[in-house]
This record gives sequence, C-alpha cells and structure tokens, in this order.
Amino acid sequence: MLKPDVIKELSAVVGADHVMTANEDMIIYSNDATMFNAKPEAIVQPGSRDEVVEIVKIADRHHLPVTCRGAGTCLSGGPIPLKGGIVLEMTRMNRILKVDPVNKVAVVEPGVIAFALTTAANKVGLLYPPDPSSLKESTLGGNVSECAGGPKGVKYGITRNFVLGVEAVLSDGSIVKTGNEVDGDMAGPDWTMLFTGSEGTLGVIISITLRLVPIPAVKKTMMAIYDRLEDAAKTVSVTMASGIIPTTLEIMDNLSIVSVENYLKIGLPVKAGGLLLIEVDGVESTVEEDAKRVSEICKKCGASEVKMAKTPAEAEELWLARRSINPAFGQVAPCKFAEDATVPRSLVPVLVEKVLEIQKKYDVPIFICGHAGDGNMHPTIMFDKRNKEQKERAEKALHEVHIVTLELGGTLSGEHGIGFAKAPYLRAETGLAGYKLGQEIKKAVDPTGILNPGKMFFYEGELH
Amino acid sequence: MNQTERRRVIEQEVIKCSRCGTCRSICPVFLAENNENTTARSKNRMMEAVLEGDVELTPGVQERFEKCLLCKACKAHCGSGVATDKLIMEGRAAAVAHNGLSPAKKMAFTGLRYRKLFDLGLRTGALFQNLIFKKLPDGRGCVPRILLPGAGLNQRRIMPNMTTNPLRSRLPKFIKAKTPVSKGRVLFFTGCMLNYMYPEPGEAVVSILTRNGWDVVIPEEQCCCGTPAFTSGDVETGRFLAEQNIKAISAEKHDHIVTACASCGAALKHEYKHILDNSSLLSTWQEISTKVLDISQFVLKYCDLSKLGKLPFKVTYHDPCHLVRGMNVSSEPREILKSIPGLKFVEMKDANRCCGAGGSFSAVYYELSRKINDKKLDNVEDTGMDYLVTGCSSCRMHITDGLTQRNSSVKVLHTAEVINMAYDAASRKEGKAC
Repeated sequence: MLKPDVIKELSAVVGADHVMTANEDMIIYSNDATMFNAKPEAIVQPGSRDEVVEIVKIADRHHLPVTCRGAGTCLSGGPIPLKGGIVLEMTRMNRILKVDPVNKVAVVEPGVIAFALTTAANKVGLLYPPDPSSLKESTLGGNVSECAGGPKGVKYGITRNFVLGVEAVLSDGSIVKTGNEVDGDMAGPDWTMLFTGSEGTLGVIISITLRLVPIPAVKKTMMAIYDRLEDAAKTVSVTMASGIIPTTLEIMDNLSIVSVENYLKIGLPVKAGGLLLIEVDGVESTVEEDAKRVSEICKKCGASEVKMAKTPAEAEELWLARRSINPAFGQVAPCKFAEDATVPRSLVPVLVEKVLEIQKKYDVPIFICGHAGDGNMHPTIMFDKRNKEQKERAEKALHEVHIVTLELGGTLSGEHGIGFAKAPYLRAETGLAGYKLGQEIKKAVDPTGILNPGKMFFYEGELH
Repeated sequence: MNQTERRRVIEQEVIKCSRCGTCRSICPVFLAENNENTTARSKNRMMEAVLEGDVELTPGVQERFEKCLLCKACKAHCGSGVATDKLIMEGRAAAVAHNGLSPAKKMAFTGLRYRKLFDLGLRTGALFQNLIFKKLPDGRGCVPRILLPGAGLNQRRIMPNMTTNPLRSRLPKFIKAKTPVSKGRVLFFTGCMLNYMYPEPGEAVVSILTRNGWDVVIPEEQCCCGTPAFTSGDVETGRFLAEQNIKAISAEKHDHIVTACASCGAALKHEYKHILDNSSLLSTWQEISTKVLDISQFVLKYCDLSKLGKLPFKVTYHDPCHLVRGMNVSSEPREILKSIPGLKFVEMKDANRCCGAGGSFSAVYYELSRKINDKKLDNVEDTGMDYLVTGCSSCRMHITDGLTQRNSSVKVLHTAEVINMAYDAASRKEGKAC
C-alpha cells in the first residue's frame, strides 16, 4: 500500500479520477494476457507528457517501481507489476500527432491503438504494415515496447522496421529523444533500436515516430492444402529460396483446421495434415506472375490442392480460417501457452518435426500455426490449469519448445517479447556476455532500477 | 442445480477467458470510459478472484458487475465464447444475496410481483405524472420537475408520456382475424413498455396480425417478463414472474407467440432457461420457447409482404441488443423495410452497437449511458434519414431522449408501426380506387 501522502502527490498531478488504489482495481490491473499476475499499489493514468515526467519524478523520489501498460494484451507478462509500485496506464495519451504523406511518417502518442494508425494512414494512401492479431486493441506504445509482428512481417518486417524515433522519459524525469523523421538517420548508434523491444525497462515512451509505406496496388490470396504438415513447412523454405517474397505465409496444422471447422463450419479440409495461407502483393503484372509461381511450388512440394481467391470476398473467406484459430483454441482446452518460437525460415520444417515429437512425448495438444514465412511460429500448448499433472506436462513441453528453438539458432521471441514469461531462457539466447551487457545497459540508463523491475535481464528466478 | 454444481459451472465459464483483451475493442462501456475495470475480461477476473477468495463480495465488486449494459457484444466477439453476460448475472445475483438490493429496486421489484397492484400503480402514476413530470410543449415527452436519483430520473432526461389508457385496456382479450378464414391463433405477449409507455406499436402488432388472417389472444394474467429483476440479480422475483407468465401463456390455446419487445422476446425464448433451474415448469417453458417469434420474424414468415403499400419514408434501422444478440434477429426487419415500396433504407454505422439504455443501467449511470447514446445518435444523423426504426421500446425511449435533447428532426418508430402504416397505405389506395 502506498502512503496517503504519495497518493496525494500522484493525484495532484493527474487528478484524483486518474489514480486508482482500491483492492478491486489492483486485482484487475495485476494481469495481462498471460496467466501470471502481481498486484500494483496504485494505477495512474497520465494525460500528457508533462504528467508522465512529474509522476516518474515522484516515483523516483519515493523509490517506487513504475510499470507501463497499454491495452494489457501482452503475451509475455510485460505490464505485470512484479514488484508492486505504480502501473502507468498510457491509454489516455492516444493522439495521432501527425500523418505526413510526403515524408511518409507518422508521429503518435503511445496510447494510440494500432488500428487507429492503420486507418489514418490508409486515408492518405499509405500503409502501416505491422498487424498483430491484437491490432484493434493493442497500443503502439506496447507494440514498440514488445516489438510486435504479424502476418505481414514476411515481406514488410515487424514493428522495429518501422520505428524511426522515440521520445522517452528516463527514470530521473529527463526526456531523451532518439532518431528523427529522416529515414536513414545515422548520427551515432541506433539508440531508437535500444528502446524498441526494451519492454518499458529503460524509459517511459511518450511519443513515437513511425515509417509508413505506399499501399500496394493489388494482392492475391491463395490457400494450399497438404496431406502432410511437413510438406507445408517445406513449401515455406522452398518459396523463400525461390526469390519470391510473399506478403504473408501462414501455416495451420490439422488440429487448427479441425478446431476452426468445428467452430465455424466453413468447409475446411478436416483430413488435411496442414495448409498454407499465402498472399502476394505489389503491382498487377508481378503479382499475377508470383502467384502462379508460388502455386506451382506448392504443388511441387506436395500440395493436393491450391485454391486461388478470385474476389476480395473469397480472399476474406480464406483469411477467416486463419483468423479464427485463436477463437478455436478454447474448444480443446481452457488454458494455453501461446508461444512465438522463431527460427531461421529454412529451418521451419525442422522445428515443425521437433514440435510434433514434443507433442507426442508429453501427450498435450499443441496447435502448430503461425507466420511461417518469417520463421515466426506459434506452437500453442493447451491444458487445463486445474489439472496439476496435465499442467506439469504442458510446462515440460513448453520448456522443450524453448530449448529446441534456441538449438536451431532461433529466438525465444518473434513478436511477443521476453517480459517475465520467457526471462528464464534469455541468458541461454544472449550468452553470458550478452546477458551481462544487457544488465549493464539497463543499469546505465535506469540506475535506480525503478522501471519495470524483475523483467528481462533482471529476472530473479532460476536461469536456464 | 445445487450450490456446488452452480459453482462448477461458473468456474468452467470463467476459466475459458484467456484475458486476451479482444473485448476492449467492442465493449461500449469500455469505449466510453477507457477503464480496464469495465471490460468483460476484467469482470471475469473479478469473478475468478471472488471464487478463489481473493476478494469478498464488496460493494466495489458489486459496482463492477453493475457497470455492464448486458448488450452481449463481448460474448458475440469473444474467441473463446465466454458467456460474460451470464457470469455478470451470476455475479449480480450473488452480490444481491450478500449485500441486498438497493432500496429503490427492492420496492420496484416487489411491486412487479403483484400484477394488479403494479397495474394500478402505473395507471395512477400516469394520472399523477404531471405532478412529477412536466410535458414538453411539442408533445414529444416529459422531463422530471424534480430530481429523483433513486428512480433513475435525471433532470435532463426526457421520458415518454405514460398512458392513462394502457394497451391491454384498449384491446379485448380475443380479437378475430379480419379475413373470412382464420389461419390460426397468435398469442401476443405485450410486455410492460408497450402496455404502459408505447401502446401504439402494440396496436399496430394486433392490426398486422388480424389483417393477415390471424386471431389474436392477449392473456390477462401476463405480467412483466422479469428481465429487470433477474438482470439486476433478483433471481427470486425473476423466477416468480417467469412462472406466472408460463402459466398465463400455457392456459391459452395458441399456434404462435409474438413479442414486439426485444427483452421480452429474449427472456421468453432463451433467458428463462437460466432462472427456471429446478422449476417444475421448465418443460412447459421449453415447449413455449419454440413458439416465440419477434413480430419481424412473424411478418416475414407468415404475413403477406406483397400487400405492403407505398410509404415515402427515409429510414435507418437500429439493432436492439436483445434482438440481434438475444434473439438472433437482424436480417428480418431489414428485409421487410426494404420490401416496402417507396421506402428508402440507409444502413447506419455500427447499427448493432448498444444504444446505451441497458434497462436500469441508464437509470443508475445516466450520464455514461448518454455518452454511449450520443455515438449512436451521431451515426443515425449521419445517414440523413428522417426516421430511425427499431424493435425495442427501451432503445426507443433512450434514443428519443437523446434526439430531443439535441433538437434533432429525426423521429423514432417501432418496426411494427412502419409495417402497419405500409398496410394502411395500401388499403387507403384500394379504398380510393373503389
């Protein structure tokens, strides 16, 4: 519990309406989209950058942890206040400050919903490509902090490929500005990249400058159906090696197909071992040619059928299957570990084989789906947390998925972040020197350690 | 179900929530308040905390369960299909059992139980309403003279004039079809809003039915459908009223049951299932529920659309939550409206988003419900249409209140009124031709 004096100080800055301290509020704000929880001592909703500065100064003075939160859709425990203190909910700062069609940049406050920017950019003929499935809920501050991805990542890249600069409040209340609106700024190291994916451990982001791209003229959507999931995975690496870069290359296994079909009844091939949802975009002539070639590759790799959408409505139908995997999870079991194990795309077939083995070994349902085109897979392990023995098997399976991913030269996080959930494995990925450097950088930028403590390089549990 | 079973069912539902936060982009209360406390996932989290003993059923918890329109949008959008609406009703019931009902609601719901007393009360209320309300000069309704926050009256709020001559007093119990041969008998469940507040759409329903060859029966013993009670957590009153209605309905011979109120329809068709747990009338209800149709469904299925006359109206349509998500009715009214010659129909943005009324929600959180309603009104006015058509009197009341306050020229009509006007137009033309 915070002292009444501190609460008074916080209220003086943002107004009493924007400071919450009731026990019920603490329970609500103890969560994100993971299974973990830890209660804060107060929730503060700043409405402006000046208010953020003042709140951080108060926290610094009283040595209170500060954990930033956007929409709380994080899948790695980023906004969970592990050490109590203040949860800084950034959603009131939700203005799009600028969309500049000439220089193709946008400047936004951290609380802007990603979809709001996508819409604003579309209005001036531009595209903001990162499209996490939480697009309509998650904030750009969160997207940048966790480095969110999405299906379009194959061609366009993930959030970090679009961040040109940020402004952030450091733990002493000073404001640092990194990067600028010039795409190609190289005055010194890439400080912007340091903040991208730093998960609120280095500073409180108060504005973000993002790169936008032209909207492609046309796109073509197709679905390739396979008897064997392995053949679908092989298609991914063969396609990428052919020189064609699809916009999207999504994979679904039999469990995903069957679950979606049970839920929606849209005529999916329930006997198929796997399928790929592929999209190519660009100028008309190239798109036609690319689509034809991709279709040939699919068949050569063993696809029994390739469906090409002829109209936008048909394309939407094909997409429906992919979009509905998440909803269909609940049919198999109530709880899940939603992973984002990412490997070099050439190794997607190997990862798929390994995950199939893990599934067999621990006898837990695992959905194998994801953005296969950039190696960003979503092996999703299902269980019921009330069944202790099953939960343990799920945890063991999860552990092996992490280890296999790292052994294949992959990364723990393709787009969900490290936070708390994957922190035990971070040292295994960075190596000892890298891990120490991570700690040193954090100490240099946040010497008092009040920003999102206990996460990433400062995990206090056992390290693998 | 006993308490242990009930708890298990609730747990089973709560655990389905993955806390993904999809409800954030859809919950009208969240979109107006921008506070995590109001999201569906947080209400599920609150329920989980109560079950696990992390928190008591405090007034704070109770308030979080209260701040929900029960519009069911979260459930319709939820990937895991979590029935948050049911969980909230369970939460409200538990909180009421623990903390009791608010005195105003307690009095109101006790009144509902005594059908004749309730009827007398509302009639008397209608006679004396001028003491409390003052009529607006344009006849569009009335505003409270004094502030009665307990009764959900806000001095800004414009309520419809209560009728001194309720629908069920205007009409006999049995009404014969206007055609030489009767096609069968329809039982009309009027509900309270049509009976006391908006009798005209009720008369329109009867007119539509009889001119299409159906006999109508309006059971005298029918009472409030119970929605205000059981959605507030007063399950006991809810069950009492449900049983009373089931008895009243099953006492009359009928082929179909027609409602013209979204909440009554949803209650009779689906919601009773949850409150009739352990009731001896459960199987009787199951039989009844298969016969329940909203007037728009009935018209589309059993009435002659080719006899609809020309109506030079420009209209848009608002989906009441309890019709679109409660009864799965959304294409029917549109199809009917589009088949009326001369009528121009323009779809509004977010037609199926809640108007903010939510029954007693708008009484307790008037300013918030107004804020939610304002978005609806903007979308209505953006269509440039003259009329808003809808199938729920509660939506109608709240939307009319908003339109009047902003001096809008848009008028609200019940779907049944429009249909009947179109039939009238056709018979007038025929009459002239003769």
